[in-house]
Amino acid sequence: MKRTLGWSDRTILIAAGFFFITPFLAAGEYSLRGYGGKGHTFANYTWILHQLGFGPALLTSLRIAGVSVLLLLFLMIPTVVYVQLGGRRWARLIEILCLLPIVIPVVSLAIGAQVAMPKRLQSTSYELCFFYVIICMPYVYRTLNTGLQAIALPTLVEASSSLGATPVKTLVLVIIPAIRSATLGAAFITFAISMGEYALAVLLHFHTLPTWATNAAQENLYGSVAISIGSLFSVWFLLVLFSYLPAIKGALQNKKVKVT
Amino acid sequence: MSQTSLQSTLSHQTAEGALPVAKRMFRLDKSFLGILPFLALIGYFFFYPLAVVFNESIHDSHHHLTASAYKALFGGDYRNAFIGSFELAAYSMAISAIIGALICWAVVKTQGHARKLIIAAAGVLTSTGGIPLAFSFIAAFGQEGLVTKILLNVFHWDIYGGAFDIYNFWGILLVYCFFQAPLMVIIFIPAVENLKVEWQEANETLGGSRIAYLRFVVIPVLAPAFISSCLLLFASGFSAYATAAAMSNGTIPLVPLLIGNLVNGEVLADQANQGDALAMGMILVCVLVFGLYALVMRVSRKK
Repeated sequence: MKRTLGWSDRTILIAAGFFFITPFLAAGEYSLRGYGGKGHTFANYTWILHQLGFGPALLTSLRIAGVSVLLLLFLMIPTVVYVQLGGRRWARLIEILCLLPIVIPVVSLAIGAQVAMPKRLQSTSYELCFFYVIICMPYVYRTLNTGLQAIALPTLVEASSSLGATPVKTLVLVIIPAIRSATLGAAFITFAISMGEYALAVLLHFHTLPTWATNAAQENLYGSVAISIGSLFSVWFLLVLFSYLPAIKGALQNKKVKVT
Repeated sequence: MSQTSLQSTLSHQTAEGALPVAKRMFRLDKSFLGILPFLALIGYFFFYPLAVVFNESIHDSHHHLTASAYKALFGGDYRNAFIGSFELAAYSMAISAIIGALICWAVVKTQGHARKLIIAAAGVLTSTGGIPLAFSFIAAFGQEGLVTKILLNVFHWDIYGGAFDIYNFWGILLVYCFFQAPLMVIIFIPAVENLKVEWQEANETLGGSRIAYLRFVVIPVLAPAFISSCLLLFASGFSAYATAAAMSNGTIPLVPLLIGNLVNGEVLADQANQGDALAMGMILVCVLVFGLYALVMRVSRKK
């Protein structure tokens, strides 16, 4: 017997879909309103581009997100590989430590960071990277761990080292390609969280895209709604693209195999 | 020949004799080194700031040990903020848990693409919280928003007729439900998927009604997962900052907003450590909630 959709299930799903999509459609309409709420134009979107603060804020966010991604992968891939290969006894400890950033509210981390971090680090926006590494760690750890469990890691490492590869070579040329999609997933999560993070950025007084958007809202609400809709849609677009990417790659590879 | 065997027995003896303790310690050391970078980073950028918060919260501005900041949490604005955060977390938890569970109930009956799409959409909605979500809702449900206007002109329902305002508690609650309900879908759906169709069939063959199926199968099986999901929702609602900050400019009494205000310098000289005490109070609540979560998970696993 297969489970079938009854009328009540259909009603729930359609109602849920309706309720979750409507606000975004309404916000999209709002962002297209002309000056004083009359007519519809793209003026609010072009307004964003003419703001002096927008470019630097976007660049800062991109830079911080990029560095966070690199830092996190550079730290977590070797650590998770190490734990799976030889440091099994540390797996439980790392799991618990990786859960804590979800448990502890970010705001309380921010208030501590403001006092605890050395002045030299606080004077550069790269300070945020280290904290974004911490708050993304739980998701990245889980993604990488699942990815590594899916491959025959010990066999690969043994084969690679018996062919004379150094551990670093094994990591870069064998392990990372083998967990490509998990690595990409981890990178994407980190990037998305870092681009949208607000609490730490505003409490440590840095000017990133989200903090700029809230400041801009006091000047032009239409404009900041336009930024929000723009950023939401670009993240969704990337997510969709990303979720289809492995499929496309797989399809292409299959094609090649068939041709040759 | 004899020499090699002697050597091997010797090495065997040493391996079993005096060396093992040292060897074990050495091995422990070495395996510790592998996670050292990880420990160093999480230690310096996570535990150290939190330790500083704790240290500051129990000292006054003259470095004397005091609990006055903690005592202040039980009165005035701070007490109201904790009550406000509790209410927001509890209401959003209750509403989102019910909506999310209903969606799960329907989603598990879909197949293939539809299901993948719904779960992906839930993931996206959960992760796109924060500032963009806040502004989207201000645009949609504000005085001039399309949703407000349609509800008023088509359904003759003035959502601003009552207590609701997108910038007050109820507005924030609405937005919280929009990222909490999808979160519920994501964390609760594995449990609903585990409900076996055979159980429903068995219930039918044994002559049980639909209500009996709910009462004796569904509710007991899903209860632990439902409770633990609720706890996660509560913690997430309790500690969220960005959405509330963007929507209220920090005027609604909520603990994270109050901490934000204190960090941003709106602080009197004799209250220098009040933000730290608030942060510790918040950490305490979250740790308690997660402790309960761990407890429920353990009990349900033992069954």
